Amino acid sequence: MKHLKPLNAKARRIEADLAAQDNAALEEDVVALQQAPRPHVPLGCSLSFSPGWEVDATGGTAGLCQPVERDIYDCYVTCFWPVQVADHVNYSPDWASNCAAATKDWRNLDIVFP
Amino acid sequence: MQLRSRLLKSIHTLSALIAVPLALASGAAHAGTLLLGTYPDKLFTVDDTSGAVKDKVKLDAGLPVSLRLSDDHKKIYATTITTSGIVVLDADTRKILNQFSLNTPTVRYRFMGGVPDPSGRYFYTVLIRFDKLNDRYTVSKQQYAVIDLMQKKIVRTVDMEAQDDALPGGFRASLMLSPDGKTLYMFKSKVLVIDTASLKVVDRIDLQKADAAGYEDVALGGGVEGLQLTHPNELVSLFTAADPYVHNKIFGLGRFDLTARKFTFTPIGPITNQISGLEVTPDGKTAYTTATNGLTGSKRCEFWKFDLTSLKLTDKQEFHCRSRYTLGMSQDGAKLYIYGASYDIEVYDAGTLKYEKTWDLGADATMAGMLALH
Repeated sequence: MKHLKPLNAKARRIEADLAAQDNAALEEDVVALQQAPRPHVPLGCSLSFSPGWEVDATGGTAGLCQPVERDIYDCYVTCFWPVQVADHVNYSPDWASNCAAATKDWRNLDIVFP
Repeated sequence: MQLRSRLLKSIHTLSALIAVPLALASGAAHAGTLLLGTYPDKLFTVDDTSGAVKDKVKLDAGLPVSLRLSDDHKKIYATTITTSGIVVLDADTRKILNQFSLNTPTVRYRFMGGVPDPSGRYFYTVLIRFDKLNDRYTVSKQQYAVIDLMQKKIVRTVDMEAQDDALPGGFRASLMLSPDGKTLYMFKSKVLVIDTASLKVVDRIDLQKADAAGYEDVALGGGVEGLQLTHPNELVSLFTAADPYVHNKIFGLGRFDLTARKFTFTPIGPITNQISGLEVTPDGKTAYTTATNGLTGSKRCEFWKFDLTSLKLTDKQEFHCRSRYTLGMSQDGAKLYIYGASYDIEVYDAGTLKYEKTWDLGADATMAGMLALH
């Protein structure tokens, strides 16, 4: 019906009302992470899901940082691997306070209890 | 003999006393300082000749996620994620001039960086606000925001329009300000031209349109190294694009005039799997990037060297690449750095593109990037 154009005031009001309903429905809808526009993940890590330390994006291990501790902190801060890493923003801001280089002194990482 | 011996000893001592300051002065003429964000809450300054960590500046606001040098090179602006903080440092002394956090017990913000206005009073960014109410959290839309660095609070916000929010780029889209401070640019797949007085988008430069650049799917390089100012009014960066007919992917050099809002794109060659941002030497004549071919175990990385006057690729050299890394350059353009996702910096000679050494910082670098300072 996109080829139809409203010609009078009543038709224009109907079109505007339908468009508003569509927008409202879109805002309240459940959306996938791949969907555009992409939803904003709120301040926390519970809504996104990514593979864990065991595999890279292709399902192998060759793409992981070697060792994986080299990359652990940027995942901790950005919640890239939220299941495996503590949540910096909400619950565990001090998780890495005693450990400046994860590869070298990961034993000093804090213990997180759910 | 005793007198002669004493005399010689005195001369040697005097020579040594003179020689040490001369050597230091000679070294200081070329030495620069690198500034990096490190875990868990510090900025490190690193001597770019020895790799020694000179200062460890602790940030009360937490972990730094962005660094920005003011256009006059006098101040450094860092933002932190832990408490949504902003830290202003003197670029010469690296002393903290101002620092504060925007978060309160019931209100939190999330932003990844921003740009100071020419006066240094205001800081422009794009953020999301989270309010903790009695029974729920509310999450705002993405907002253009102005932070008053004197009042230490957000003074203006305007919601981003849905059409702009939907553009690829997200939180880490680069922001630039025109030299007069009147226009804010946000570099997504389109360039959003924002009037700083109203925080409204007044123009969208669609780089995908043929009449803008002659190529579709033009994407701007991102990250702290993605955009380089050759002078206060012009940005230079690598762009990737596809021609509108057979969709052949190419990369090229783009220049953006911040005052005239004019974009020019010069294609250079076929694109590889991935190209990092551009590092331009201080004289503006040479630039470097890294190109990645292949994936995971078969991934190969190369330095690419460009002559910016002829826009030609003049040299290539493969290097041992990490799974994730960032390209940096020394302030004099003599060294290239590979860093990120680790506690060390690998140093390469910019002339030969050969590996030289690795500096151990003793702390993991954050994604704030690196600033090369004089």
